[in-house]
Amino acid sequence: MKAALNRLQSWEGFLLCALIFIIFMNANLSPQFLSFSNQINLFQLSIEKVIVALVMTFVIINAEIDLSVGSMMGLSACAFGWMVQGGLPAGLVIVICLGIGIAGGALNGWFIAKVGLPSLVVTLATLIGFRGLARVLVEDRGINDFPEWFDALGQQGFIGSVPFALFAFVILFVALYIILQRSGFGRKTYVIGTNRNVADFAGINTGRHKMIIFIASGLVSAFAGLLYAARVGAVRGDVALGFELDIITIVLLGGVSIFGGSGTLVGTLLAILIVLNLRNGMALVNITGHIQTGVIGLLLIGSVIAPRIDLTRLWRRPSGDNS
Amino acid sequence: MSQPVLRLNGISKHFDMTKALSDMSITLMPGEVHAIVGENGAGKSTMIKIMTGIHQPTSGTIDVDGKARSISGPQAARDAGIAAIYQEPMVFPDLDVAENIFISDNSSGLLVRPAALRNRARALIERIGIKLDPSRIASGLTLAEQQTVEIARALSQDVRVLIMDEPTASLSAHEATLLRKIAKTLAGEGVAVVYISHRLEEIFEISDRVTVIRDGNHISTKLIEDVTSDGMITEMVGREVGNYFAKAAGTATNEIILEVRNLTLDGVFENISFDLHRGEVLCMAGLVGARRTDLALALFGVTPPTSGTIKYKGETTHFTTPRVAIEAGIAYVSEDRRKFGLAMPMAIKSNISLATLSDFLSPLGLLKHAREDKIAHHFTDRLNIRAPDVDTPVSMLSGGNQQKVMLAKWLNLNPELLIFDEPTRGIDIGAKAEVHDLIRTFVADGGAALVVSSDLPEVLAMGDRIFVMREGHQMGILDTANATQETVMILATGQLQEAV
Repeated sequence: MKAALNRLQSWEGFLLCALIFIIFMNANLSPQFLSFSNQINLFQLSIEKVIVALVMTFVIINAEIDLSVGSMMGLSACAFGWMVQGGLPAGLVIVICLGIGIAGGALNGWFIAKVGLPSLVVTLATLIGFRGLARVLVEDRGINDFPEWFDALGQQGFIGSVPFALFAFVILFVALYIILQRSGFGRKTYVIGTNRNVADFAGINTGRHKMIIFIASGLVSAFAGLLYAARVGAVRGDVALGFELDIITIVLLGGVSIFGGSGTLVGTLLAILIVLNLRNGMALVNITGHIQTGVIGLLLIGSVIAPRIDLTRLWRRPSGDNS
Repeated sequence: MSQPVLRLNGISKHFDMTKALSDMSITLMPGEVHAIVGENGAGKSTMIKIMTGIHQPTSGTIDVDGKARSISGPQAARDAGIAAIYQEPMVFPDLDVAENIFISDNSSGLLVRPAALRNRARALIERIGIKLDPSRIASGLTLAEQQTVEIARALSQDVRVLIMDEPTASLSAHEATLLRKIAKTLAGEGVAVVYISHRLEEIFEISDRVTVIRDGNHISTKLIEDVTSDGMITEMVGREVGNYFAKAAGTATNEIILEVRNLTLDGVFENISFDLHRGEVLCMAGLVGARRTDLALALFGVTPPTSGTIKYKGETTHFTTPRVAIEAGIAYVSEDRRKFGLAMPMAIKSNISLATLSDFLSPLGLLKHAREDKIAHHFTDRLNIRAPDVDTPVSMLSGGNQQKVMLAKWLNLNPELLIFDEPTRGIDIGAKAEVHDLIRTFVADGGAALVVSSDLPEVLAMGDRIFVMREGHQMGILDTANATQETVMILATGQLQEAV
């Protein structure tokens, strides 16, 4: 009981309250809000970002950053369009695109883990590089002649009316949750993010660990880029442009420390739900996209300030000793 | 008899629920060195913070020169002539010595004349009785030199009460001697010096009176002539600590576990050769800058040596990373808990399992939480780690308990060779004795320990042999049986080079 109370006082507890409040408000504003189709729709519009946010949680807890995820999504989507247009079978192209994700992640990882450059600089460089490559492949024209089954995968229900991408999200969340919160790999992720020296001195191969995380980040981003291509049914050079900022925003809002070492996947999930529901709710009452973005920005500032304010002191004031 | 310069009358200080000080009274006379001793958490730092205006007392009064006066903040303390220097000096690294000394001095107005400033600084430094060029940049100073800068700063403000909080904890023996001389000199000029230290031999050397505090209570204040070491320790811990610095029985065997020959790391240390036997404690003594930690890190695989050989259990080995050394059964307990030893915000149990994480994983790589809890409880019992539970973040523990968590992490590896860097720095006497016992038990059970320590009584009590280094060179290996503090110091300061 006491443990449950303590948990509610955590950042996750605060996010949960905020989420319930937002859902309650939205449901009052519009009767359609709670309908199954609206709930699926709300996920579907940002599904690629929230999938990448899951793996970004690992990157940031590890005290690194990956700015190249948006560009990798774009590169994977554009490479897909380019190769399919060139006549390669789509199934093979998907495998190649995932391979590109692994290679791109390994490139980041090599510079960061083996050479020892800061991830901020390395992934800023690959953000530009991957995007440049994507634009070279498809130039200015859009490509939209994909196989029918591929479009269907992105635009129709996979089982019932639930789309494939949402399944992928749920499965990925469960798998990554077990890895981060229950496995030795997850424990190492936290220790390395807290203090890499301590991890090194305890015999943990911190370089290999970072390499694995950046490869996973590249792979999942490439996968998300393919989902985007399937959902929209077309690709252009600017696919997923600037997505990295939305993704990082969600993760930080979820309570993951930008300095590494703390945060949970549940926090990220709650932040995802809050952002999606908030945007949806604001859309229901005709608040424009720019203002929506501004509100999300304010939320982020709040999430960075909040841990510096001792909420427990505020709440415990009545019973506390005044000395 | 002259009037006391500072007097605390029945000072109490509460933080929320905890009483840090209760009814504390203490009188400081001009010209005395007044030592304050107590275990970690006894309330020493709270008392200093009240004297320097950082904390306000919950109840009680403070007299300065016999008149009641409130010390409402650091500025008020400075006005009353009270200054403190700490183990970690606070200097501005990019300013020179003179600028650091006069950092809060506004009398020279907007335009500072460096030459005049340096002359005034030189006068203060000479008054302390040391050599230090006032134009040197602070970042290039040793810890001891930075402390003298702080003392000079205090003098520049007409200090009348100088509080020295564990000033020698991080200094080499030679520097510490110099610092104690400075403390004596200042007292001779009429300054009341409050001296806080865990090193009892220092206290006997320089203080006039000793106050013992325990659990926030004043236990006794006596003239140093009326105090014995054992009596003081008994008062500090509230019980008898019989084995403190008692000479341990040797358990060394003939089996050589580590054989080091001509080990060199270019530009750091060279031609280091020694043997370590199973069941033996080999202490490494030396001044700051002797490169003992660098040698330890080379043996642990952090910075592999450039030449020379290491034979471990009879086989020539090359430890290229800590992982390789750990797999061979070597543990390194770092001197810097914060930087290299513990993941501070993480739980006790997560830290204990850290070096042996694979033992706590199921075949699928999932953590066995029950096993982690069990092992953590085993060690908190065995090492007497005082904490609410094993989920407590180590950052919440006292220094001594943190040290024991770090030790638990490595003992769980069942190492055969334990490299221990400054095992008892900054921890209280009760915990010190416990750590000494643990090391002795470890070697008695068939391990071997290499202990880097700057605490000479500790080295003499714990080591079977003493390896002395100076500036990266091996100065000699002494048998503890016929070594004294003086013979160790002669080697460590390079006054005599003995054949190995």
